[in-house]
Amino acid sequence: MKKLSVAVAVCAVLASSYASAEVRINGFASIVGGKSLDSDQTLYGYDDDISFKNESKFALQLSADLQEKLTATAQIIARGEDDFDATFEWAYVTYEYSDELQFSAGKMRVPFYKYSDFLDVGYAYRWVRPPRSVYGIPFSTYEGLSVVYNNQLGDWDSTLQGFYGAFDGDIDVFGDSLPAELNNLGGINWSLSYDWFSARAAYIVADTSISIDSSDSSNLSALNGIIDVLNTNGLTSTVNDLITDEDETTFVGIGFSIDYDNFLFDAEYTQFEVEGSILAEQSQYYASAGYRIDDVIVHFTYEKNDDKHDSSRFNTLESIPLLNTTVNFALESMRAESNVYTIGARYDFHPSAAFKIDFSRFDDDITDTETDIVAVGVDLVF
Amino acid sequence: MKKLILASALSLCSFGALAEVAVIVNPSNANALDAETIKKIYLGKAKSFDNGNKVNPATQNGTAIADEFNSKVVGKSSSQLNAYWSKLVFTGKGTPPEKFDSDQAVIDFVAANGDSIGYIDSSKATDKVKVIATF
Repeated sequence: MKKLSVAVAVCAVLASSYASAEVRINGFASIVGGKSLDSDQTLYGYDDDISFKNESKFALQLSADLQEKLTATAQIIARGEDDFDATFEWAYVTYEYSDELQFSAGKMRVPFYKYSDFLDVGYAYRWVRPPRSVYGIPFSTYEGLSVVYNNQLGDWDSTLQGFYGAFDGDIDVFGDSLPAELNNLGGINWSLSYDWFSARAAYIVADTSISIDSSDSSNLSALNGIIDVLNTNGLTSTVNDLITDEDETTFVGIGFSIDYDNFLFDAEYTQFEVEGSILAEQSQYYASAGYRIDDVIVHFTYEKNDDKHDSSRFNTLESIPLLNTTVNFALESMRAESNVYTIGARYDFHPSAAFKIDFSRFDDDITDTETDIVAVGVDLVF
Repeated sequence: MKKLILASALSLCSFGALAEVAVIVNPSNANALDAETIKKIYLGKAKSFDNGNKVNPATQNGTAIADEFNSKVVGKSSSQLNAYWSKLVFTGKGTPPEKFDSDQAVIDFVAANGDSIGYIDSSKATDKVKVIATF
C-alpha cells in the first residue's frame, strides 16, 4: 500500500503538470525468446519449451520539469514473467540543487551493482541479461531518499551517492515468494571514471526480516518444524540464528570496466550477508570480455557463485545430537556453488535497436548438473 | 539500413571528403567553447555555459552529419551514444539533447533560443547562427 501511494503521488504530480510543463516520454523494450537445451532442467525461468515471455518487457517513462530544478519521473514496466501486468518500477521527484548536487525522493533502484540503475534497459549492455550470479539479489527497488554528488577530480569524473530508505514487499527466496521487510536500508557508492576506465565501490546495510510462517512450501515446512521443536525445548538462541528477524545485513560490491579502442572488459565482485539467519553468506563475481567489430560485439563471460555458512555456525547443539544434526542439515541445505559460462553477440542493426544472442552453461557444483540455455532477443529504446 | 551502412562507411574512410561539421550557437551567445567542452555538453557532463546559463543542446536524428559529429567530436558511434544516453535517461541522471531531423531545423532552433547549441553541415550555415568551431 505504501508503495502504491508513492507511485500515485508522483503520477498526480505528473498529471497536474501537463498544463504547465513539458512532459517527456521515453521507453524501452526487450523481446527475448529462449529455452533450456536440457529436457529436465530449468534455468532463469526457461524450460525446454521455447518462451518469448519469460524475459520480455516493455516500459514507458514519463518525466516532467515542474519548475526550474524540480523534475518528477515515473517508470512503468510490464514484464512477461508477471503476465505483462504493469507496475511502477520507479516513481520519484528530483531537486537539482546545482549541476553537481541533486536530491531525489520516492521509489528508486537500490544501487547494488554497476548496472543496477539500468538493469531493465537491455539496450544499455551487451548481454541478454546481466550476469545473474552477481545480479542475484531478489529485490531491486526501495522507497526513500537519495543524494548524488558529481564532480571532477583532476581528469576523473567522480559520482558519489548516498541513500536511505526501506523495502517492503514479497521476495523470491527459499524457492517461494515470501513477505520481507528491509528497514534502515542505506548505503554509499562511489564511481570514478576516466575516459576508457571506470571503477566503482558500494557498501549497503539493512535490517532484514523475512516471514516464513505462512508459507506452505515443503522446504519451509521442514524449517518451521525444526523451529517449533527448538522453541519447545527452550533453545531460543538457536531459533534466532535460523529465523530472519531484523537481522543485520551487509552488502559490499566492487568492480571496474574498460572500454578501450574496441576492447571491452567488466568485472564485479559482491559479498552479501544476513547475520544470524538461515541465509548463507554469499560471495560471487564475474569477469566479462568483449570485442567490438563495427556494429557487432562478441563477448565471453565467466561467473562464480558461492553460498555457505561459516564453520562456526555448525555443531552448536552438540549436547543434543539429534537436534544438532538437524540444524546442521538445515544450514548445509543453503549451500550453493555454481559456475556459469556465457558466450554471445550483440549487433546494433539500427541506431536504437540491438539484436542479441547468448548461450549460457550453468554448472551446479553441489548437484553436479549442467544446464545449457540459449536466448535471442531484440532490445530497443525510444 | 543501406543508407546507414553507406553513411558510416563514408565517415570511416573519408575525413574531410564528407561535409565539414560546424558547431553553432545563437549570435547573442558570447561564450567560448573548446572541443572538450562541446564533447562534455553532448555527453551531459557539462550543463552550463561559462556565464552560468543552462545549455540547451540540439542534436540530429539519424542523419549523416550526426554520425560525423558523433564520431569526430563525441568519439562514439551513434548507437554507442544512444546506449550511453539510455543509461542516463532511464535513471533520471540526464536529459538528452533535443533531436531534429535536418540542418535547417537545428538552425531554426538555435536562432530562436539564446542558450542553445547545435551542429550542422558547415555549408548550410546562415547568418542567423554563429559558427564557433568546425570539425
